[in-house]
Amino acid sequence: MRTVTRLYLSNDTSARAAGAGVLADAWSEHPEVQLIRISSRGAFYLEPMVERDSPAGRVAWFNVTAQDLPLILSGTDGTPVRSIPFLAQQTRFTFADFGETEPLALDEYQARGGLSGLETALRIGPDAIIEELQVSQLRGRGGAAFPVWNKWKVAQQARADQKYVVANADEGDAGTYCDRMILEGDPFRLLEGMLICARAIGAGRGYVYCRQEYPAAAKTLRAAIQKADEAELLELDGEPFPIEVVEGAGSYVCGEETALLESLEGKRGVVRARPPYPAQSGLYGRPTIVSNVLTFATIPNILSRGGAWHAALGTEQSRGTMALQLGGRVKHPGLVEVPFGLSLHQVLEQFGGGMAPGSRFKAVQVGGPLGSLFPASQMDIPICYDAFAKAGAVLGHGGIVVYDHETDMVDLARHFMAFTADESCGKCTPCRIGSVRGREILERIQAGSGTIEDLALLHDLGDTMKVASLCALGGRAPYPVLTAIEHFSAEFRSKLRT
Amino acid sequence: MHEQVKTILAKVRSEPPNILKALLALQERLGHVPTEAVPDIAHALGATTAQVAGVLSYYPDLRLTHPGRHLIRVCMGESCYANGCGRLLRELQDRLRVDVGETAAGGKFTLDTMSCAGNCAVSPTVMIDRDLYGRLLPSQLDTLLERYK
Repeated sequence: MRTVTRLYLSNDTSARAAGAGVLADAWSEHPEVQLIRISSRGAFYLEPMVERDSPAGRVAWFNVTAQDLPLILSGTDGTPVRSIPFLAQQTRFTFADFGETEPLALDEYQARGGLSGLETALRIGPDAIIEELQVSQLRGRGGAAFPVWNKWKVAQQARADQKYVVANADEGDAGTYCDRMILEGDPFRLLEGMLICARAIGAGRGYVYCRQEYPAAAKTLRAAIQKADEAELLELDGEPFPIEVVEGAGSYVCGEETALLESLEGKRGVVRARPPYPAQSGLYGRPTIVSNVLTFATIPNILSRGGAWHAALGTEQSRGTMALQLGGRVKHPGLVEVPFGLSLHQVLEQFGGGMAPGSRFKAVQVGGPLGSLFPASQMDIPICYDAFAKAGAVLGHGGIVVYDHETDMVDLARHFMAFTADESCGKCTPCRIGSVRGREILERIQAGSGTIEDLALLHDLGDTMKVASLCALGGRAPYPVLTAIEHFSAEFRSKLRT
Repeated sequence: MHEQVKTILAKVRSEPPNILKALLALQERLGHVPTEAVPDIAHALGATTAQVAGVLSYYPDLRLTHPGRHLIRVCMGESCYANGCGRLLRELQDRLRVDVGETAAGGKFTLDTMSCAGNCAVSPTVMIDRDLYGRLLPSQLDTLLERYK
């Protein structure tokens, strides 16, 4: 009788883009292989990564090609997964099961402790849920870092004929992908978090606003919703709690909560003036909790382990763990879940493994396209909300992109302003006009016809955009540009007309 | 045209009308949203022409013209920028002899950019239709394009 070997291969979009799909096709005709498509561990520099069981846990092969099959089947040269430093040094809670489970196996999710947070929530009731979140000191992971319990309390106390829970899966910040990993790899964790929220505030309907760039995420999530529905999970107090996936149409600013709500209503995704906040008056004017995917996915563990458990992790103002996403010219790009408080330097050395071959460090950007740039001299900054706020920077959604010596900082600054000019919703003047003028000035400098006055003008413009813009897009857009000028001023000056 | 638009829109009718959902449904079936149909769409949804035209012009993914058989999108996100997406885009512009937003002669490919594909850990990224390719080198573009008929 032929022995069949069970091999594990990620079905995550980035794993497939790295070649996992090609492997799956190549090995589909091999009767001795049973291929299990799992979520990704997030060690993307090793993908496609193939694993098999051993008495001492999973053993892995890295950067596998189709020709490596005999090697893997013979069990030669594999590395025990638990001895991979990139993974072993992390503190994983939200991402603990990644790389272990099949995304749509609800029984497996439950066997590993899934749904126990929801069970607790149903047992203790709305007030105690919100109290637990207050103890946990969880802050929203999408960028604004607002205390979650506070928002929920406002929505809970609001009186209305309908309330909504909206998961923001419009992960538009370039350099971030942890929400995509959750949607594709552990969708029940998101649904559980949304159900806990619905229970706390008394919502009757949920939406997941998923960006159009994530087709696999939307598909997996829809399948998960159907499975959850079949298992009769989508009901609260005997009432149905339907959750619908709605896809966006390519607008970055729709990741801003009020623009997202406009878009969900089918309108132009234009920012609303706040107050009123969505927790008071959100979707169709009803109290609405809008939180990002990672935030919802963090909540089940808080309910099952207790708020105090969460509060014991991290730093004074930043409790818990953060999912950092490494990208750019770093040697080991991938997902790093660690408690808040590690320095930027530590994260890039310990997990990032230093620079990609042939690259020398120039700058690192934290917090997406609106995040500040840090030069080599500022790498000691601890990764937490407090230290970043003090430095005038933002942690955003945890994206960390490393630029190497070949990066032209003037062109990079132009790239940032052009992005804002493209994506501005147009509602407020500082952002709509300011970003276009900013782009024009930087184009002028890049073309060699800029003057020293242009640099002063960029500062003035930046100050106006920071204080007068309606949302973070215009308000944050000057930061990457002005920090580029601050730290690489010689490069800008060398391009000025003399 | 008029009847076809009405049939498609009948399937996404809601109260209040969801204009974006309706336009995406039309694009799914027709490949683009014809501007001349805007008054019909508005009438069918019970919205104003201005509201429909406003939504149509707002979202980058809503197309006013029919794209080529395959849509190539080069990711311009920061990780892709750091890893040379600019060169990939220039190479594609040269090979296809088009600018961003244009369709190549013969109607096979439309070239576009996107702001982030969420594939930052295996960048640079090019998305063709719904397939994603990572760690892409300019030297691999010819083989990649040949796969699409």
